[in-house]
Amino acid sequence: MARLAAIFLAVIFLFPVLCLSFSADNPTDRRLLVLVDDLAVRSSHSVFFKSLQTRGFDLDFKLADDPKLSLQRYGQYLYDGLIVFSPSIQRFGGSLDQNAVLEFVDAGHDLILAADSSASDLIRGIATECGVDFDEDSAAMVIDHTSYAVSEMEGDHTLITSDDLVQSDVILGDRKIEAPILFRGIGHSVNPANSLVLKVLSASPSAYSANPKSKLSSPPSLTGSAISLVSIVQARNNARILISGSLDLFSNRFLRSGVQKAGSSTKYEKSGNEQFVTEISKWVFHERGHLKAVNVRHHKVGETTEPAMYRINDDLDYSVEIYEWSGTSWKPYVADDVQVQFYMMSPYVLKTLSHDQKGLYSTSFKVPDVYGVFQFKVEYQRLGYTSLSLSKQIPVRPFRHNEYERFITTAYPYYGASFSTMAAFFIFSIVYLYHK
Amino acid sequence: MAKSTSSDAQMLIRSLRTAYAATPTNLKIIDLYVVYAIVTAVIQVVYMGIVGSFPFNSFLSGVLSCVGTTVLAVCLRIQVNKENKEFKDLPPERAFADFVLCNLVLHLVIMNFLG
Repeated sequence: MARLAAIFLAVIFLFPVLCLSFSADNPTDRRLLVLVDDLAVRSSHSVFFKSLQTRGFDLDFKLADDPKLSLQRYGQYLYDGLIVFSPSIQRFGGSLDQNAVLEFVDAGHDLILAADSSASDLIRGIATECGVDFDEDSAAMVIDHTSYAVSEMEGDHTLITSDDLVQSDVILGDRKIEAPILFRGIGHSVNPANSLVLKVLSASPSAYSANPKSKLSSPPSLTGSAISLVSIVQARNNARILISGSLDLFSNRFLRSGVQKAGSSTKYEKSGNEQFVTEISKWVFHERGHLKAVNVRHHKVGETTEPAMYRINDDLDYSVEIYEWSGTSWKPYVADDVQVQFYMMSPYVLKTLSHDQKGLYSTSFKVPDVYGVFQFKVEYQRLGYTSLSLSKQIPVRPFRHNEYERFITTAYPYYGASFSTMAAFFIFSIVYLYHK
Repeated sequence: MAKSTSSDAQMLIRSLRTAYAATPTNLKIIDLYVVYAIVTAVIQVVYMGIVGSFPFNSFLSGVLSCVGTTVLAVCLRIQVNKENKEFKDLPPERAFADFVLCNLVLHLVIMNFLG
C-alpha cells in the first residue's frame, strides 16, 4: 500500500517533465496525428513516415473514422500537427469534423492535407476554408499531354511530371531539386488576391483539369499554370498548411521510381518527390523559416537606460535581436531588409536595420520635429518566413521653454538695431548738451 | 507750362534749403538723429520682407525702438524750438530731462521684448 502511494506520488511529480511538447522555445512540432483511410497507407507511404520519425516526430496513426478520434482533451490539444491522408472520408469519427480541424489550425498548429481523385466534400470543404479551391468537377484529374511521365503502359496521361517550383530556399531547401516531380491527382486553383496562399508546385502550361474517362464537352475551367498541384498557406498566426492534390505524391512508389518527362531524353534515376516532400515537410512543421524577435531596446545616443519619453530632435538608437530556428537551436537571422518605422498615423522615419552577424539589428536616427505618441514598428513579412509584427509605444514631447536656442540667428539685425538706437541716443544726448 | 513747373520745383527746393540753413544747430542735430532712426527702421522692415517675420517679437522690438526714438526726438524738437509759441514757458532743460527719462523707459521695454 505504501509502495503504491510512493509510485503514485512519483508519477504525479514526473508529469510536468513528461509533457515535452510544442512550446515557444522549441517551435518544431513533436506529436503528429496521421489520419488514413485504411492502414495500408501506413505501409505504402512508409518512406515518408520514416523520414518524419527519424527527424524526431511522434506519429500517431488512426483510421479517419475511428470513433475515439479527438484532437483535444479538457481544452488542451493532444497533438501539434495533423496529417490528413484520407481523401475519401465523408465524415471523421469521434469528435473531429471540419470545424474542429479549422479550430486546430486557428490555434496555431500545422496541417498537411492530401486529396485524391476520390476526394470527398469534407476534404474539399477544409481546403476551401484554407483558401484553396479544388476543381468543382469531382471526377476531374489533372491531365497533361506534353508533360506526362513516360511509363511502360500507355496511360491516359494523368501521371504527370512537373518542375515548376516556387523559387524559395526557405520553403524548398538550398539544394535545387533536379528531377521532375511525379503527380497524379486533382488540381486546385489559388486566388491571386490572397496574400497568404502560395503555389509551390504548379502544372505546366499545357495541363488541364478534366475527367479522363469522358470526352470534353466544354473547355475546362482550370488550365495551364493556373493549376496548382501543391500549395502552402501560412496563416496570420503563423500556422502552416500544405495542401496537395495527390496522395500518391507521398507514396513509396513515386518516391523511389525513376522519371522521364515525355518529349525529353533525360531519364532520371530517382524522381524529385523524396527531396520535395522531405524539404516541404520540414518547412510545414517549423523546422525552417521560423523567426523570433526578442529584446527590443531603444535609448538616447550615449545612454543605456530606456527613457519614458523622448524630446523632438533627439538622437536615439533602436535595436532588436532576431533569431531563426534551425530545427534544433536558435541561430542568428541574417538579412538586409528588416526595417523599423517611427510611426504616428504614418511613418515619419523608415530606416533599414543593419546587423552584426550575430542577429542583433540596430540603427540610429533623429526624432522628427513633431510631437505626439509614436510607435516603433517592425513589420516583416517575407515569403516562407513567419511574420514579425513588433510595436512599442513611446511619447515625444516638444521643447521646454528653456530648451530653445538663446539667441536666434535671423534676429541678429533686430538685436543690432535696438542696441544701435541705444548707442545713438547716448551719443546724441552728449552732442546735444555739449555742442557750441 | 512744363518748364515753369520744373523751375518752380527748383525754386521751391532752393527756398527750402535756405530756410533750413537758418534753423539753429541743436534742431539740426535732432533732425539728424530722427533721420538715423527712420533709416534704421526702414532697413529692418526691408530685412523682414526678405527673410520673413520669424521671431516676430524681435522684429517688433527693433522697429519699436526706432519709432519710439523718433517720436521722443520729435517731441523734444517741438518743445525746444524757440519759434513755437505753445511751449514758450517750458525750460529746455525740463524738456531734455523728460526726453531722457522717456528714452530710459523705452529702452527698458524693448530690451525685455527683444527675447
